[in-house]
Amino acid sequence: MTTASHTITGLASAKDLFALTKPRVMSLVIFTALCGMLAAPGSIHPVIGFTAILAISLGAGASAALNQWYESDIDAVMKRTSGRPLPAGRMDRETALHFGIGLSVFSVLLMGVAVNWFSAAFLAFSIFFYAVVYTIWLKRSTPQNIVIGGAAGAFPPAIGWAAVTGDVGPMSLLLFAIIFFWTPPHFWALALFMNSDYSKAGVPMMPVVAGRQSTRHQIFGYSLVLAAVAVAPFVLGLAGAVYGAAAILLSGIFCALSWLVARSKTTEPKDMAAEKRLFKFSIFYLFALFAALVADRVILA
Amino acid sequence: MSEIDKDKPPMSPEEQKVYQARQKHRAVIMAALLIFMVVLFYLITIVKIGSGS
Repeated sequence: MTTASHTITGLASAKDLFALTKPRVMSLVIFTALCGMLAAPGSIHPVIGFTAILAISLGAGASAALNQWYESDIDAVMKRTSGRPLPAGRMDRETALHFGIGLSVFSVLLMGVAVNWFSAAFLAFSIFFYAVVYTIWLKRSTPQNIVIGGAAGAFPPAIGWAAVTGDVGPMSLLLFAIIFFWTPPHFWALALFMNSDYSKAGVPMMPVVAGRQSTRHQIFGYSLVLAAVAVAPFVLGLAGAVYGAAAILLSGIFCALSWLVARSKTTEPKDMAAEKRLFKFSIFYLFALFAALVADRVILA
Repeated sequence: MSEIDKDKPPMSPEEQKVYQARQKHRAVIMAALLIFMVVLFYLITIVKIGSGS
């Protein structure tokens, strides 16, 4: 950590500006957006496709910067986030705000000029949803924050799809729904073993408000809905057997791991092996499911 | 945001060094990004003209 004076924090390092975009979250955004684009009917010129992914990534980075600008007080008291540039004192809030707004405007304009204005409007809405609806409005006011806020993370594949087709179709809605219903079990598994962090910060995460057992049961409930939504493209004939087999297998494992979480009674975070396992698998699940969709399209083509 | 605030105490030589190193690093990255964007917009223009849109 750099110990810097007030003047130096006004000139954030490039490394910290990059960290403000949450690069690890961005990798999932890039991947799902790319899959949405590859799964869409029709074709897109590689240069335009690259630009669309770049714009979606910059939009996600902008949302992350605005999120950290607003949440620097919460981040400072949570162990997991206290090392971020703002709470660690390596950057001032004004820089983060300017960076976030600048990147938002640039990403939307880039999408509109190079790709199409429908996906640009979609991207603008997703940034607004994450930065305002989720971060400013929902996160501190309701334990349903993750459920509704999950929509923000579910937009990228639909935007990738819209970059190719210029509209929203049944398959892009299903891709949206998959991430939407994946988010609560993914985040609540994390929140269960990070419970003390969230309660210390006063964030009304489900385990803090409804208790661990209720959260565990809801994780299992959402996993069942996720499994149904994940298999739907195959059942409805929108995807082939490769995707269908992968969706059934992966969702089966997801539900089994969620069932172990639902049965767990552990109270100590260090003993929450089932929750940690589900959290790790949930990340793999999303990557594998979307990769299977693309593989399915390639094989069918 | 990158201006030196006259109301604040002057920077120490070490801080001055860090400040100038950051300025230089950011300028190099900004130049690389600008070149990248010029190339990207050139390619976008070629593709758009080629497709007639």
